[in-house]
Amino acid sequence: MPEDVEMNDSAATAAAADAPAPAQSTLHHLKEIASVIEAGSLSKEVRRISRAFRLTIALRRRLAARDVAAFLAFALPPSSEAFARLAALVPKEDGSEMDVDAAAPTAQVSIKHGLPEIEIYCYLLVLIFLIDNKKYDEAKTCASASIARLKSLNRRTVDVLASRLYSYYSDVHELTNTLAEIRGTLLALHRMATLHHDELGQETLLNLLLRNYLHYNLYDQAEKLRSKAPRFEAHSNQQFCRYLFYLGKIRTIQLEYTDAKESLLQAARKAPTTAQGFRIQCNKWAIIVRLLLGEIPERTVFMQKGMKEALTPYFELTNAVRVGDLELFRSVADKFSSTFSADRTCNLIVRLRHNVIRTGLRNISISYSRISLADIAKKLRLDSENPVADAESIVAKAIRDGAIDATIDHANGWMVSKETGDVYSTNEPQIAFNSRIAFCLNMHNEAVKALRFPPNSHKEKESAEKRRERLQQEEELAKHMAEEDDDDF
Amino acid sequence: MDPKLTEVAQMFARFKAAYARNDLDACVTLLSQLKVQLTKFPSLPPLFQQAPNSVEELKLARDIYEHAVVLSVKLEDQDAFERDFCQLKPYYMDTCGIIPPSPEEYPILGLNLLRLLVQNRIAEFHTELELLPVKALEHPCIKHAVELEQSFMEGAYNRVLSARQAVPHETYVYFMDLLAKTVRDEIAGCSEKGYDSLSISDAKQMLMFSSDQELNQYITEEHPEWEIKNGSVFFQKAKESQPCKEIPSLQLINQTLSYARELERIV
Repeated sequence: MPEDVEMNDSAATAAAADAPAPAQSTLHHLKEIASVIEAGSLSKEVRRISRAFRLTIALRRRLAARDVAAFLAFALPPSSEAFARLAALVPKEDGSEMDVDAAAPTAQVSIKHGLPEIEIYCYLLVLIFLIDNKKYDEAKTCASASIARLKSLNRRTVDVLASRLYSYYSDVHELTNTLAEIRGTLLALHRMATLHHDELGQETLLNLLLRNYLHYNLYDQAEKLRSKAPRFEAHSNQQFCRYLFYLGKIRTIQLEYTDAKESLLQAARKAPTTAQGFRIQCNKWAIIVRLLLGEIPERTVFMQKGMKEALTPYFELTNAVRVGDLELFRSVADKFSSTFSADRTCNLIVRLRHNVIRTGLRNISISYSRISLADIAKKLRLDSENPVADAESIVAKAIRDGAIDATIDHANGWMVSKETGDVYSTNEPQIAFNSRIAFCLNMHNEAVKALRFPPNSHKEKESAEKRRERLQQEEELAKHMAEEDDDDF
Repeated sequence: MDPKLTEVAQMFARFKAAYARNDLDACVTLLSQLKVQLTKFPSLPPLFQQAPNSVEELKLARDIYEHAVVLSVKLEDQDAFERDFCQLKPYYMDTCGIIPPSPEEYPILGLNLLRLLVQNRIAEFHTELELLPVKALEHPCIKHAVELEQSFMEGAYNRVLSARQAVPHETYVYFMDLLAKTVRDEIAGCSEKGYDSLSISDAKQMLMFSSDQELNQYITEEHPEWEIKNGSVFFQKAKESQPCKEIPSLQLINQTLSYARELERIV
């Protein structure tokens, strides 16, 4: 009767979501979650375990020490090693007995002891609780203990919880600034996850490792790991977004701007709307990459809801690049230097200088059919000992790179722009049109792929059809037999 | 003091003496012996084992590799430079807190940046740059390399060349000379596209040749398609390739077919 259980579960979920604190105590909720996990564990359904985790996150704000302690007592056998270890980490509070006693009889949930899923869940709960209460040292102990325990388990139903544990494990170390210490452990865990075919774990751990490397600006190592780690279709959208973001960052540093732009924009688009901070980061990087590519991001990018303020420095920067004014660019870079260094985009902004000059040059080349090199140097505000010679070589390089279409007359010291041809006489529009069509078609295919169906529904439908067929056949057979009977008599 | 350490220190002293009297052959043999000796210290990367005299060992090893890098520049051996630098790098990155930073750190890091620039490995250049803290960018040696890269990207080649006169460290000269050659090729490439023609004296000045003969030789070797007549260099030949007006039919057919296929899948 899988369907019935499913119904009960979703009813319980609805109840948990609809009726907040007053009706049922946090402890009661926790017990319900435990039973969801138990059901998931017994029926080997990973989806239920992930739901249990989502329910826990909803409870996160209301977790109190006594709830956690009481839940531990409820879920773990008192003699077990895990109980002793975890109970010691949760601080004791007085006056909790009454509440627990009052709640206990109403909760008619009981679970089987000794399930590894429940044990790991307890670790996770305590860890979340400790992080929320800023007890980082205890959290580290708890995380390390849980990782040690995880190493001895190999169950697909634990993987979901394990991947969450890994993230919190890395989180604690990031909060206490000791990320470098856990790199070895994470690498070992990644290897373990690969051997166990735990793809969610691999995904999570790969991201954690990339984050770890990028935290210390170790782009080289990050790229080497990324390019060698096994890739497969993403299991979790969040992890995939993170992966794309890290990938975009690596590619930006290594000057592969086109690929970087794709990854960053995709990450910004795929990220859930609630992940505001993440989307802002993606947008910041995407803006710089687009500027480096010589594109000017549209104004709407900067006006997105809730991002306007954070993106202001980048907006002014874009403006400076668009105008092609070196002086303005310099002043913007100085004005927001603290923001840029906090975002660690300083070095990228230094690279942008070259684009500012290019844009300025392009503007000049469009507006003038002939202009002296000295004027170019003045307009671009090149400040060096020999601005004319600088301008000449800069123009020459721009011509070679195809940024402007012009020739230089060295004897007279001026630049002559060639007439710009009609863009519709080239293949340009055709190419643009093609890339748009390809994008739409690709989106459609992705959407089809992303459609989810509940497992086995296909088979059940078939069996229902078959049953109807069978019934029909039986009916016909009965009719025939009846007719034959009639004939006999 | 540990006898092994003393032995290596003595050998290193001999190496330095050989280096001081410019006996490069002796330096190379001593260096390879030193490297073999270093493998016997457990406190060095990648093991980082705690030992009572690990600080001395690390310092000595770092010193040896720093000299190895400088020696490789002197020998004008870029591969050896890369090898030695890779060995040296962990001492700069992973030993903070164990031994004090070396005064040679930034000059050598700057030298490596310059090498990457010369070899046109710009992506690696930027990856290395990201590893440096903000205050390192203020250091003249690092700043030199960063500004060079910027001028190089912009196309302000004369700034690159004038930077040769203002090298922050004597070891930089070798790479700056290499860079000058790269710059000449770049300028030649740009001029070809940027100008219709140049007078010989201008071309000579721009490509940094002291005599017409050198210019002629360069043109015949590197750019035989350039034409010299009436005291000017004409680049026109390279420009003759007009954009063809043909319709890219094969590509269009392929695209249309793929649309049809995709649409069929949808309907």
